[in-house]
Amino acid sequence: MTTALSSQFKTLTRLRCEIFQTTYNPKNLRTGAKYLRARLRGPSMVNYYPQVVNVAAIAREHKGLELIDPKEHQRLEDVEDRKRRGKGNPKKAKTKADSRRAAKKR
Amino acid sequence: MSMANANKAMRNVRIMRDVKARKGVLNNEVARRAYLYVARNTTLPPQVRHQAQLQLNTFDKYSRPTTVKNRCSETGRGRGIISEFALCRFQFRLRALHGELNGVRKACW
Repeated sequence: MTTALSSQFKTLTRLRCEIFQTTYNPKNLRTGAKYLRARLRGPSMVNYYPQVVNVAAIAREHKGLELIDPKEHQRLEDVEDRKRRGKGNPKKAKTKADSRRAAKKR
Repeated sequence: MSMANANKAMRNVRIMRDVKARKGVLNNEVARRAYLYVARNTTLPPQVRHQAQLQLNTFDKYSRPTTVKNRCSETGRGRGIISEFALCRFQFRLRALHGELNGVRKACW
């Protein structure tokens, strides 16, 4: 009884596959179809981070425009401030003796 | 678009790496899928499947979708991210309290 039922069920499935044009795979073999069926995720992945205007890049491209990058401006100001307080970069050693002295200090 | 992403990435090396991974996924996705299809298809001869698997192994690290991680676009933090806004929980709170996030407001009942 059960075998008859299952064979009928198989026929039904095959018919259904023919009608709806799906693959008849009674043994449930792994055909890798899911890798082709799945949507591509790359396009949405690339758009995750929001767009940000890069002032420095625009200024580099169009040198005629005198754009001021507020962050860069602030940084340069801070560097100047540090120099005024004597916290700037040390001078490059001109002679060997200079470099030896610098090494000793360290 | 991609340039803007790269610019954003200049802030933080972790974001930069993530952007690189995202671009890699985009560029290699179709080829990877094709090899995956062959490698996982049990109806194909084992030798062919093995070759496809070997090809899959030659892909760059930054072409796998699993290397991509949603990070905070502001700080680069990798944990506690609210993906819809691409922000970590603290940055999300700050922005929301400043009213910079549309449709988000502090709960009150």
